[in-house]
Amino acid sequence: MLTQTPTPLNEDALKVRVEDVQLDITFEQLKRLVSPRALTGETMLMNMGPQHPSTHGVLRLLLELDGETIVNCIPDIGYLHTGIEKTAEGKTYLKAIPLTDRTDYLAPMSNNMAFCGAVEKLVGIEVPLRAQYLRVILLELTRMNSHLVWLGTHALDLGAMSVFLYCMREREMILDIYEAVSGARMMSSYIRPGGLWRDVPNVFFDLVQRVLDVFPKRLIEYEKLLTKNPMWKDRTVGIGKISAQDAIAWGMTGPCLRATGVKYDVRKAYPYSSYDHFDFDIPTGTNGDVFDRYKCRMEEFNQSLKIIRQALKRLPPGPVMTSDRKVAPPPKHEIAYSMESLIHHFKLWTEGFKAPEGEVYFAVESGKGEYGVLLSGDGTSKPRRVHFRAPSFHNLQPINEMARGQLLADLVAIIGSIDIVLGDVDR
Amino acid sequence: MQNFWEYLTKIPVGLATVFKTLFEKPVTIQYPEEKKPMSPRFRGRHQLKRYEDGLERCIGCALCAAACPADAIYVEAAENTNEERYSPGERYAKVYEINMLRCIFCGYCEDACPTNAIVLEPIEFPTGYTRESLIYTKSMLLEPPPPGVPGTPQQTPPGKYDRAILPFPPIDESV
Amino acid sequence: MPVVVEVTLKSAALIFVLLTGFAYLSLLERKFIARLQARIGPNRAGPFGLLQPVADGLKLIFKESVTPKGVDKPIYFLAPALVVVPALMLFAVIPVGKGATFQLASDLNVGALYVVGVMSLAVYGIALAGWASNNKYAVLGGLRAAAQMIAYELGMGLSVAAVVLMASSASLADIVAAQYPEQYGGILGWFLFRQPVAAAIFVIAAFAEVARAPFDLVEAEQELTAGFMTEYGGMKFALFFMGEYVKMIAVSALFTTFFLGGWSGPFVNEAPILSVVYFTIKVVVCLLAFIWVRATLPRVRYDKLMDMGWKVLFPVALANVLVTAVLILLGLPGYRL
Repeated sequence: MLTQTPTPLNEDALKVRVEDVQLDITFEQLKRLVSPRALTGETMLMNMGPQHPSTHGVLRLLLELDGETIVNCIPDIGYLHTGIEKTAEGKTYLKAIPLTDRTDYLAPMSNNMAFCGAVEKLVGIEVPLRAQYLRVILLELTRMNSHLVWLGTHALDLGAMSVFLYCMREREMILDIYEAVSGARMMSSYIRPGGLWRDVPNVFFDLVQRVLDVFPKRLIEYEKLLTKNPMWKDRTVGIGKISAQDAIAWGMTGPCLRATGVKYDVRKAYPYSSYDHFDFDIPTGTNGDVFDRYKCRMEEFNQSLKIIRQALKRLPPGPVMTSDRKVAPPPKHEIAYSMESLIHHFKLWTEGFKAPEGEVYFAVESGKGEYGVLLSGDGTSKPRRVHFRAPSFHNLQPINEMARGQLLADLVAIIGSIDIVLGDVDR
Repeated sequence: MQNFWEYLTKIPVGLATVFKTLFEKPVTIQYPEEKKPMSPRFRGRHQLKRYEDGLERCIGCALCAAACPADAIYVEAAENTNEERYSPGERYAKVYEINMLRCIFCGYCEDACPTNAIVLEPIEFPTGYTRESLIYTKSMLLEPPPPGVPGTPQQTPPGKYDRAILPFPPIDESV
Repeated sequence: MPVVVEVTLKSAALIFVLLTGFAYLSLLERKFIARLQARIGPNRAGPFGLLQPVADGLKLIFKESVTPKGVDKPIYFLAPALVVVPALMLFAVIPVGKGATFQLASDLNVGALYVVGVMSLAVYGIALAGWASNNKYAVLGGLRAAAQMIAYELGMGLSVAAVVLMASSASLADIVAAQYPEQYGGILGWFLFRQPVAAAIFVIAAFAEVARAPFDLVEAEQELTAGFMTEYGGMKFALFFMGEYVKMIAVSALFTTFFLGGWSGPFVNEAPILSVVYFTIKVVVCLLAFIWVRATLPRVRYDKLMDMGWKVLFPVALANVLVTAVLILLGLPGYRL
């Protein structure tokens, strides 16, 4: 990730310093990571994380500091590696869904959608329109959920502590919706291959309406507290800049990429789940700095509300699960009198459905960026290989580019603005 | 100068916004005494259900164990007899254990259960100090029989309970 | 009563009040900030959570006292005391009420100078704590503390100088008296209105002096985990905590004395005890403002803070002193001696 030219060093002195920071890498590797000045004691090597208040989990950054100026910022990931991709290989397609909840645990429905979309693409399942529209509503709520946590933690990182609690207050409304539809406040597993687990309850519409009514007022509050606050601008404008070219080269997606002015959004570029039925804009920035990323996400709140309003208005009646009995379990009450239903039920819950041999890639625009699933089927009911293209991981990669030359306090702003979830980075 | 003016005018706006919250009702609640109502779909702790006559719904088919993504359920079935009947049909769950430390509360067992025997109810969550205490056995999971009805095992007339899966109404998706 | 006994008793009473005040200030802060954030705040320990400070104190006392490897022991243990003692010493010259009963040494004729001097002592405790801890975060915190406090002392000192000019005395008792000249009556005589620029500078410098948000760079937990107190736990940490809060009270008391008319208010001549009440009310209002600001504003960046201290606050304060002197010389209304 780093391109420092190795220069002859005072090896003994550096060895002491390697012990000092306790890296799991060898001395030779470290030499390539830090600048030669680290050796003479001119710059300071410092660990930020894995236990640090503003690394958003167990991210570890090895910092080379010149005073408070960052010379190098070397991310060290893997502290939350849970082997989700490998575990998914041993599960049937249905049983792998709860695993996807746990990658980016702040946007579980987006992950469900990406995985289920991939399975649907691989197997060739048609999803009823009502399920597609409900998915859109839930995905946009999920985006707001993800953005609310980002806004709260980002503001808290920069010291505006009340905003964090206000965001959690608003997030509660969305978690209530999660609870009402799926029965869980975070690990929803609500989106299933072929549609949704169940139709939404009646109370769902009231709860969504509450979000639509309350949220615009809250957005104005955030604007007053942050967007218009000159102290907030001082901390964000011109910090952590990255050019559009670099952002694309590093594979950044989502608001981080759009802040640089690139108008790329999976919802528009490769529409899924009937996103092309709705009218919405993609907010972009110009400078690619922390403030532009902030502005993009704040505008996405409005766009999400707009999409939800449209989808609610045009929500068609009908089933929410495909009628293909080879994929979706039959309505449960049928199994008491229909032998065929009983067989399907047992078959699907034990062996699961079989997917054909082949490889598909399916991506959704999660709150953090392009969340893709690469699914390789081998003809059995379990995938041969699952890979999650985690937006957090790709957005974290260029942190050295963004942080180099900035102050330690700016690094905190940068980490906050790229909106990483370590469950997503390490998987 | 522009910047100075911004400081002077915009910061009080922020301060006023925060001050306004002082007059709002706190959104937090006093948890153990005061509880938030849970949605009817809430996936809380598992409960093994009974029929109105006190027989257990669980027929020991172990489909829940098969459906469990976390392999948290262990079921060992045994034969019912008319002298010692636990559930309708031929078999019942002699051993039924859920390891609450493994369980991820995804609700797949509830979906898979052909007799609606296992249900994740919005009730108290499993807590404990040791790993052993969090392996819930059948007696901990089984709901008490309805009032005035004997529990299991029961002595039943032959031929009355020859079907394992009794008809039940469709799931109400509006709640 | 011999002077020594009297002073000792008064000091003991003052310290007792301050330490209780510190404990309950921490509760007030948690309660008030909770309400600003739509929360309830601590309410479990005792009625309305009134025993929370006791519970906190007990917890800190019973914490294991950990001394990390490689610390410079004498300095490491001395630093917390160096933070608390100057904060307490500040109160020696502050008149908390009318009459000699409520004053310790307020007639000290260099009171204002003493205040500025003692205030700057606290930086030693913080810088030394950062240095002695053998921790990189602590060093950064300590360095930030030293730079920040020196920068803002100038602004604060010069704003106090303007007040001293106005009162033509450096004794704090005289400064309080000077805010109530016959021709004004009521609160218009407060230096807050007659010296608004000095008051604004004092407020900004006060936030930086006590290192409270938005100027809490010294311990900015999101950047430096806990800054200079990273390696301190238990009672050693409690002392730092105490130092910060007592200093917060002290700065509020100084602002009250310098700009809000001190202990004065209606009917103080009839019932001198009222003066203490007025003083307390004014101080608590200042403290609430401290907390309110902490709940709202994002943290300032270190270099911007230094920029503001040296490039804005210092020249403005200097100009303010000059203008004040000229105005007094011209004998304008409100500036006539």
